[in-house]
Amino acid sequence: MTKIVSEYKYVFQMQFLRNSGYLVFMALIQIMISIGIVIGFTYLIADPDTSSILYLSTGAPTLILIITGLVILPQQVGTSKADGFMEFMRTWPINRSIILGADTTLWVLITIPGIVVSSFVAHFMFQPGYDVSWTVVPAMLMIALTSIGVGYGFSYLLSPTASLGLSQIIVFGALMFSPVNFPMERLPEWLQLLHEVLPIYSMAEVMRASLAASTFTADAGNYINLIVWCILGYGGAIFILNRK
Amino acid sequence: MILDVKGVTKKFSGKGKSRTVANDNLTFQIEAGEIFGLLGQNGAGKTTIVNQILGLLTPDEGDIHLLGKSVIGSTTRARALCSVQPQSQVPLGFLTPKQAVTLMGKMRAGGRFDPKRVDMLFEALDMGKWANKEGEKLSGGVRRLTAFCMAVAAPGKLVILDEPTNDIDPVRRRYLWQVIRELTNDGTSIILVTHNVVEAEKTVDRVGILHGGQLLAQGTPSEIKSSVSNRMRMEISLDKDSKLELPKWALSSHLRGSRMLFSIDPEQVDATIKWASDQIKNGAIIDYGLSPATIEDVYVELTSGKELSQV
Repeated sequence: MTKIVSEYKYVFQMQFLRNSGYLVFMALIQIMISIGIVIGFTYLIADPDTSSILYLSTGAPTLILIITGLVILPQQVGTSKADGFMEFMRTWPINRSIILGADTTLWVLITIPGIVVSSFVAHFMFQPGYDVSWTVVPAMLMIALTSIGVGYGFSYLLSPTASLGLSQIIVFGALMFSPVNFPMERLPEWLQLLHEVLPIYSMAEVMRASLAASTFTADAGNYINLIVWCILGYGGAIFILNRK
Repeated sequence: MILDVKGVTKKFSGKGKSRTVANDNLTFQIEAGEIFGLLGQNGAGKTTIVNQILGLLTPDEGDIHLLGKSVIGSTTRARALCSVQPQSQVPLGFLTPKQAVTLMGKMRAGGRFDPKRVDMLFEALDMGKWANKEGEKLSGGVRRLTAFCMAVAAPGKLVILDEPTNDIDPVRRRYLWQVIRELTNDGTSIILVTHNVVEAEKTVDRVGILHGGQLLAQGTPSEIKSSVSNRMRMEISLDKDSKLELPKWALSSHLRGSRMLFSIDPEQVDATIKWASDQIKNGAIIDYGLSPATIEDVYVELTSGKELSQV
């Protein structure tokens, strides 16, 4: 057990220090994007009511987690595939799931500043009616793990070019065609059906239910959906890492 | 015995039904404290066999034993027993050489790792001045040295070095060979993967020449050389206008600009030197050099099918 903990520590230090310069940069971008979502969308909607603003301010943290796990992470994985670091990590004398665990910690950490800052900005600018439940930490962690897990799964599975393409579609789809910043009912029926299966809708529901507990609720189906995608993502990533 | 590779074959499927045989029935052993040079051209199958020793690839046929136990099925053990310097550069990002080497040492040896080892390595390779500089700002050679130190900070029983001297200046190359030699003092074995044959010849205990997935020859450098050719090689610089008549015992000759190369049997060395001295007195040639066939000559002959004289 202590061996696992110390290996985890060394891998984390290695990855943290290796990326230290980018991490600050990425955290800053996250802050800008999340504030941008809350404020920027109020320009898009001419006269937003409190309900719209609540959707936006509970959607921003979800989008941060989606962008981190499904866009930035696949790009990083693509780079480390191309520059040979992935192959080098595969020669390390440690269990591959420790590497994934340490990397996941790093990715979760860099989302925190963006989520915290955008939530405070939204609260002080619009008072959208946050009602933060105790579930907020486990909920965010669950969403983060699902997003990061799925990001790992497809970026390990696909070629760097294909996963870059997919992540572009995801960022566009998540911003414009997903019930994150607006209610599901506005989407056409076929897209609603699709979102019942994909994890993005469940991420948004779980996030809303924990940030504005008196307005929104998430059902068990949302949690199950996230767990299934999380397992699929990490399982796939570990499978690919161990593949010979 | 540290490593025992028995009849390993590995095929890769290409487009359609085409299959590339990357390793074709390879068999070789490495003893404790031995430096084994794995020589071969690009695409000879060197990295494929290395990846199978590490358990990153599974052989299609044959088996690989590390310290008496098969690698197949215990790959984590294999990765713990072997430490690797990959052929490609290790992207250090913002890591400094000192951080990278220390962390790798800790990852391999845990609490038993002595941080002084890092300073010792940096001193031996004269790279102290870069120890605390971010990886991104370092030259290719220094990054390569860092990757080498990462592999040997807490070396496994078997250290695999894939082209360790690429990008490295001649002075530090010598230090590097020194460090590699010292590693073997406590029984650590080394696989040196390279196509830099001249350097390898001076360092390795045994050599395997890999070509098209097959081991064409293996043995000590002198065994390898004698198995193929024991000819000597004479190289002379001609005077501009000289009409030189080669000695009748010259076996094969080749003129390249003002340089003439020919090979002779070792028994003819004395006669050849006398002949050459006479030619210098006559003013027909400017100078000459006589050398035994190098392992590079053998290597090229084996892998390209060309005669020594054409090299």
